[in-house]
Amino acid sequence: MQRMAVESRRSQMLRGVLDLCLLAVVLDEPAYGYEMTRRLRERGLSTVGEGSIYPLLGRLERDGLVATHREASEGGPPRKYYRASPSGRSALAEGVRAWREVRGEVDSVLATIEAEVAR
Amino acid sequence: MTAYVQECRQEWKRLGVPDLLAEEMATELESDLAEAQADGVSATEILGESDPRRFAAAWASERGLVAEPPPQPKRTRRWILIVVGVIVLFLVAVIVAIVGLFAAASVSVQTSVSPPRPARAFALPNLVGLQACHARRIALGAGLRVQSIPQGRCHAIVIHQSPGPHQMIPFRQRKRITVTFRLRS
Repeated sequence: MQRMAVESRRSQMLRGVLDLCLLAVVLDEPAYGYEMTRRLRERGLSTVGEGSIYPLLGRLERDGLVATHREASEGGPPRKYYRASPSGRSALAEGVRAWREVRGEVDSVLATIEAEVAR
Repeated sequence: MTAYVQECRQEWKRLGVPDLLAEEMATELESDLAEAQADGVSATEILGESDPRRFAAAWASERGLVAEPPPQPKRTRRWILIVVGVIVLFLVAVIVAIVGLFAAASVSVQTSVSPPRPARAFALPNLVGLQACHARRIALGAGLRVQSIPQGRCHAIVIHQSPGPHQMIPFRQRKRITVTFRLRS
């Protein structure tokens, strides 16, 4: 039960910044959906919690924050690649700034209970 | 996993997502799931959502391929509507009973379910990188008009399209839009 509550909280916290993580993994090199999941995992984000990256990718595409193109794949149909667009880069920079601010503020509040967490 | 993708396709059809965009999403999902399976990664990790219809609806909605749901009425207004509805139903029932008593007539009530609202606009697919005839087929499938492909250039690769990829096209005007290609020489 407690584990589920922890998972749910983690999922909620992640929901606000997962778009930034997706933009970050396609900032320099384009990737298709599953390849992005793999890059997230390589950077330490093993599960993205409830939901999936696809609806989020859809939103990023709709908002023009990612550009897409197709590339031939080995033996299969062409894959759809995503890459951060110029406005995606700006949104990412702004989002990271906001994330660091919030993280700092929350850390300041929570730092006082460090001893409780360690127990 | 094919069953999952198949259910997604059905949901996109029900929601009025243009066929070619639904096919694009289905192909993307199918390829990714196959690769994940080969890597030993569970589908749950990729999809996060076990209900294909909810997953498909969320994806289409976030891409802006389905009409936004109408705004919900405020809670107080909703209560007023419920109370008024109950009173109206009560009055109708009384009238029906009286008519039934005196005229021995039967009354049938028909209900109708409004069909899903079709998409108002859709993003032009990215046809760059495809063979000319394939790209033309996709565009025609979406109800767009397309320039004819010169003889012998069917397999030439599209290097530019106009209007450009992802440009939003009002659904009703799609028959007035002619898609043109520049092909690799």
